[in-house]
Amino acid sequence: MPRSTLSTEANKTGSWRYLRPRYEEKTAPCSAACPAGEDIGKIEMLTTQGLFKEAWETILRENPFPGVCGRVCFHPCERSCNRGEFDDPIAIHSLERFLADTAERYDLKPLMERLPGRPEKVAIAGAGPSGLAAAWFLTQLGYACDVYEASPEAGGILRWGIPVYRLPLAALQREIAQIEAQGVRIHTGRPVTPDFLRDLEKSYSAVYLACGHGRTTSLRVPGEESDGVGDGLKFLEGVRGGGQPAVKGVSAVIGGGNTAVDVARTIVRLGGEALILYRRRRQDMPAFGDEVQMALDEGVKLQELVAPVRIEQDGGRTLVTLRHMRIAGEEGGRGRIEPDGDRTSRVVVDRLYKATGAEAAEGWHNPPAGKGALALSHCVLSLRDGRPAMAWGGDLANDIKSVVHAVASGKQAAIALDTLFREGLDAVLLKLESCTVGNGPSLSMEIHMGGERRLRNRHVVAYGEINTDYFRYAPRMTQPRLVREERVRTFTEIDLRVSGNIAMREAERCFNCGLCNQCDNCHLFCPDMSVIHDQSAQGRHINYDYCKGCGLCVVECPRNAMTLEEEIR
Amino acid sequence: MKQVLEGSQAVAEAVRLAGVQVVSAYPITPQTHIVEILSDYCATGKMNAKFLRVESEHSCMAALIGAQSAGVRTFTATSGQGLALMHELLHWASGARLPIVMAEVNRALAPGWNIWVDQTDTLAQRDTGWIQLYCEDSQEVIDTTLQAYKLAESVALPVMVVLDAFFLSHTYEPVDVPSQEEADRFLPPYEARFQLDTAAPCSFGPLVPPAVYMEMRHDMAAAMDTALTNFARIEDDYERLFGRRYGAVEAVACDDAEIVFVTSGTITSTTRLVLENLRGRGEKLGMVKIKLFRPFPVEEVRKALEGAKKIAVIDRNFSFGASGIFAQEVRAALYNAPDHAPVFGYIAGIGGRDVTPEVLEEIYWKTKHNALPERESVWIGLQEVSHGS
Repeated sequence: MPRSTLSTEANKTGSWRYLRPRYEEKTAPCSAACPAGEDIGKIEMLTTQGLFKEAWETILRENPFPGVCGRVCFHPCERSCNRGEFDDPIAIHSLERFLADTAERYDLKPLMERLPGRPEKVAIAGAGPSGLAAAWFLTQLGYACDVYEASPEAGGILRWGIPVYRLPLAALQREIAQIEAQGVRIHTGRPVTPDFLRDLEKSYSAVYLACGHGRTTSLRVPGEESDGVGDGLKFLEGVRGGGQPAVKGVSAVIGGGNTAVDVARTIVRLGGEALILYRRRRQDMPAFGDEVQMALDEGVKLQELVAPVRIEQDGGRTLVTLRHMRIAGEEGGRGRIEPDGDRTSRVVVDRLYKATGAEAAEGWHNPPAGKGALALSHCVLSLRDGRPAMAWGGDLANDIKSVVHAVASGKQAAIALDTLFREGLDAVLLKLESCTVGNGPSLSMEIHMGGERRLRNRHVVAYGEINTDYFRYAPRMTQPRLVREERVRTFTEIDLRVSGNIAMREAERCFNCGLCNQCDNCHLFCPDMSVIHDQSAQGRHINYDYCKGCGLCVVECPRNAMTLEEEIR
Repeated sequence: MKQVLEGSQAVAEAVRLAGVQVVSAYPITPQTHIVEILSDYCATGKMNAKFLRVESEHSCMAALIGAQSAGVRTFTATSGQGLALMHELLHWASGARLPIVMAEVNRALAPGWNIWVDQTDTLAQRDTGWIQLYCEDSQEVIDTTLQAYKLAESVALPVMVVLDAFFLSHTYEPVDVPSQEEADRFLPPYEARFQLDTAAPCSFGPLVPPAVYMEMRHDMAAAMDTALTNFARIEDDYERLFGRRYGAVEAVACDDAEIVFVTSGTITSTTRLVLENLRGRGEKLGMVKIKLFRPFPVEEVRKALEGAKKIAVIDRNFSFGASGIFAQEVRAALYNAPDHAPVFGYIAGIGGRDVTPEVLEEIYWKTKHNALPERESVWIGLQEVSHGS
C-alpha cells in the first residue's frame, strides 16, 4: 500500500470543480400559500426545538392574530403542504393555535422589532382584522395609528360575527390588547361618517378604510322583508352581544358560507332546529368542510340545490317556495347551476335567516375604480392632489372574504403607505414586488423590514425536491374536540388545547421545505471534508479550495436548503 | 464434522470459521446463496461481523477496501456482471496490497442473459493482480476458502476462490466442516501490516511518481511468485491438520499417458470418470487439473505434462480473437520447455451447457485421430443455427 504522511493541502482540488454548491434557503409552499405570508417552515422548526416563544414571535412578525387564525383560518397552507404528497399535511393551524395558547398561558410579551418613529400619522376606519392588522404593521414601521370603530368593542367580524364556540372572546381580546400594547389607539363608538372622514383628512397623512362588509345582501325575493325573515349576521351579532333569541321550532338558513353554518349551529345550541337551504351542492359550499361536517353531526339539516323564490307568512309560520336547481357544468371549481325546469317545492318553517353574503354598509365605503386608483392584490390605494392618501382593504377590497385575507390587506396597505411616505408613489409597486413570498401575492413584513428572510430564494420548493429518504411516515395529529353531545348544548369552544408534546411531535413531521435546520448532513457526507463548522448563522461554510463540486451535500440535504450551480470561471 | 452442504454453504461456513469481520455484497445469481447465509449469520450473531448492504458491486469492493484498510478480515461474493462492475476496484485492492478474499461463482456474461456457468468472467480478470483458485467440489471449496485467507495475508494480495455456477454452487455433497478450534489452529487472527489509524494519520494510495511506481509493481510481481511457494507450504500445514491436499496442479495417471486432458472446475470430476472408463478399454488417458491459475504454476504444469504425447485443454471460456484461455496459458508455459507435446484446444460447456462423459470421449477420439490440432480451438457440440434474415 502506498502511504504518505506529507500534507496534500498544497493540492487545491477545488480547481477541478465545475459545479458549485452553496447554502441557499428557499421558500416553503405553505408560506407562499398563506395570504399573510407566515414563515411556517421556520415556525415549525422552532416549535420542534421547543422554542415556543420564538415561534410565536415569528408568526407575529407577519400576522398579529395567531390565536384567531389558529382557530378560524381556512388554512390554505395545509392544502399546499409538501408533506401531503408523502402522507398527510402538517396540522399547521393546530400548531398556530398551540403557540397562541402557550403565549396566553405564560402571558408572554412579544419582543417586536420597531423602526424609528416617523412623523406621519395614519387613521384607520374599522377595528376588524384588517384595520387592526394595518395598525399593528404601521406601528412596527414607526407610524402612530388611531383606529376608529363604530361599535362599542373592537374586533369587527371576529367580535360580532364568529360564534364563541369557534373563537372564544378571551382569545380575541388578548390579541387586541397586544396590538394596543404596541401603542395603537382604538377609539370605539366612533363611526367614520363622511363628515368625520373629512376631519380625519385634516389631521392624518393617510386614511385606511377597512369597515368591512357588514350588511347582509338582499335575496331579491318577494316577501324577504316580512317579519319571519331575519338577517344572519345581525342574529349572530345579537347572540355575541349577550342576547338569547327565541328559536323554538325550525329555522331555515339561506346560504352556503360560514355565516350560514354559524347561524345554523348557533340555533341548535339555543335549542332550535336548523335547516340550511343552499342552491348548489355540499361540496360547492364556501363554508369550511370541517365546519359543515360538524354542523351535520350536531343535527343541522342541509337541503341542496334549492333557491328561494317567494317567502310568505302563514299563520305565524313562514312559507318558503323553493325552485329546484341542477348542476349544468363546472365554474371556478364549483358546480354551475341552472333551474331544474319548473320544479318547485315548499317548506314551512318557524323563521328564516338570510346568510347569502354581505356587502358594504354604505355605498361610499367601496373603493374607487379606474384612474387615480391603484388596485393591488389585497387593497386599493388612491392618491388625490393635496389630500392625504387613502387606502381600502379587508372585505372592501378582497375577492376572498376571509380573516387572513383581511390581515393580508392590512399588511399590503401598511407596506404601500410606508413606501409612499418614504420613497413616493413610483416606488410602491417595486417595493411590494420585493416583499413577495414565493410567487406571491403574499407579502412578508420581515422582508420589508430587512430581516434575514429577504436572503431566501423565491423558488417554492416542490415535493420532488425533498429528499424523503430522511423522513418516516407518521400520522398527522388529531385535533381533540368536545364530544358532539356536549357541543350541541353549550357555546364552549369545540377545539381543545393540545400539549407541548403533541405539538412538538407534529411540528417534527414538517419537512421545513427550503430551510436549514442544522442537521449537518452536508458536513457528514462531504467526501473532501470541505464543509467547515464556524460561528456564522449558517453554522458552517464550504471551503472552495478543496470542494470538488461533487454535489453530495446538495443531494443529501433533506430539505433543499442548498443549491448546486455551474461554476463560472 | 461431516455435513451435507451446497458449494455456496461450504463457502459461507469457511468465511464464518475464518472470523471475517466485514462482509459486503450485492446480490447476483448464482452467488446469492453465499451472502444470504452470511447476512443471516451477521444478523443472528453467529458471526461477529458487520454486513454492509451496498448499491452495486463497485461500491461493495470500495467498502471492503476501506474495511480491510482499517485492519479487519473481509469477504465478498459475486458472479458474472457483478465481477465485471468491480473491475476497477479489483486493481485497487491488489495495488493497495489488501488481502481481501472473494468467492466468485462463474457465470456467463450477457448478453444473451445467462446465469449458468462459464469461466470467462474470472479469467477476464486474470491481469488484475488477484490470486485465483478454481475448485472442483464442495470439500475443496471449504478447504480452499480457509486456505485463501492464509495465502492472501502471507503475500498481501487478494484471492478469488472460483466455483462453477450450479454444478458446484447449488449441488449438495457431504463436506467435512472443521470445528472452530481446528480452524483457529490453522488460521491465526489477522494482523495488518499497515492500517488506517487516526492516531498516526497518513494518506493511503496517494500520487506515486514514475520513480517509485515501477518498483511497487515489481514488488507485486514478486509477491505473486512468493504466493506460488507459500501455497505449497500452506497446503502442507492444512494437510497436517486435516489430512487433505489438492495441489496447485494435480496430475492423474500421467506417467504412461499418451493423451493428457487439462481441466479445471467441475469438468475435472467428469474427466476422472471418463479416464477410468477409457483406461478400462486400454486407452492411455491422463489428466492434469489446474487449481491455481494465478500465479500460473508454470513449472508444475511443465512437469505434469512432460511425458504426454498429446495435450487436450478443455476450456469452458473463450478469449475472442484468440482461443480458450487455459489453452493459451498451457501453450505459453510449454513454449520454452524442450520437446513438449502439441496442445489441442477444445471449447465446451459454454454458458452452462452440459459437459457429459460423451462430450469428453468425443474430445479424446478427436485428439487421438489427429496428429496435430486442426486449429487453435475446436468447439465441441455446436448445433446448426439459422441466423434468420
